[in-house]
Amino acid sequence: MQDLLKKTVLLLVVAASLALLVNHLSPHGIPLIGQWDTEVGVVTADTAAAAVWMDFEIPDPQTAKQVFDAASALFVDVRSQDLFDEGHIPGAVSLPLGSFESRLEAFAADVSPKQPIVTYCSGRLCQDSHTAAQLLMERGFENVVVFIDGLPGWIENGYPVATP
Amino acid sequence: MVYRDGLRMGTLSRHPETGWRANGWLDLGLRWLLGGLFVLASAHKIMDPAAFAKIIFGYDLFPAVAINLIAIILPYIELTAGLALITGVYPRAAAVVLSGLLMGFILAISINAWRGHVFDCGCFSSGEAALWQGTPGWMLGRNGLLLFMGWSITTFRGQRKIVVRSG
Repeated sequence: MQDLLKKTVLLLVVAASLALLVNHLSPHGIPLIGQWDTEVGVVTADTAAAAVWMDFEIPDPQTAKQVFDAASALFVDVRSQDLFDEGHIPGAVSLPLGSFESRLEAFAADVSPKQPIVTYCSGRLCQDSHTAAQLLMERGFENVVVFIDGLPGWIENGYPVATP
Repeated sequence: MVYRDGLRMGTLSRHPETGWRANGWLDLGLRWLLGGLFVLASAHKIMDPAAFAKIIFGYDLFPAVAINLIAIILPYIELTAGLALITGVYPRAAAVVLSGLLMGFILAISINAWRGHVFDCGCFSSGEAALWQGTPGWMLGRNGLLLFMGWSITTFRGQRKIVVRSG
């Protein structure tokens, strides 16, 4: 019994050591502690990415509403088409992350690279709006920000929602 | 009652068994199946620990400081114990480790099914993982079957086939 316990612990120690070593060396590695507090921002395992994101985030619904009222920015909804059809920020364009590649060409043909863009998805549990913002920037769009509270935060504040 | 060479040692010889509980080939088959499944399951978690961490977060059972550590270490426990089971390095200990994991999974799924907790972040990026996980009923059934395999390997009383390091 004691022998079995010893060998079990040995297997666990080998596994944990290997895990920490590979995580440290791998480009896919993550920090030992992540950002899992929705009060702070979007939840993510990758705190380094979160720190970079902060530079292009709209951190609260009130600011997003001001941007919306100024009427110069294009809101881009990156949730699925089904969720978009159920309701979205008025004037928003649907560009689901799931079919991003196939719809990007048509989007890029209509929208100028200088156009201010606000991406959003399902709020602080969702990183899709960040991923989409990054892809849009790589595609040459120069003025992209992320509304991190997404549609749930928008609705919570009683702001208008459009259904087609 | 037939005594085999492997049973003439230690306490095992006092409880010789025949039938499926002492069938070395069946034991090997179970080891390869259980070990192989865990090695396969560990692969995509190892490739994308950030996505796996999000799934763990979604269970809403663990403190924030533990989530990344679980996401980093758990897949390697699956991989190490799975490979140990396949190659025959401490197969019994490896089966104990995997059985422990399975009991943990069953407990976590049961708690969330009981309290009606379903994590749906409306994200495209987590959709694939959710698909792979399936419904609570399917996951409990599958894990229950795997746990039975783990128990069979742990309590095996015959002569094991292909063993590099016994125990």
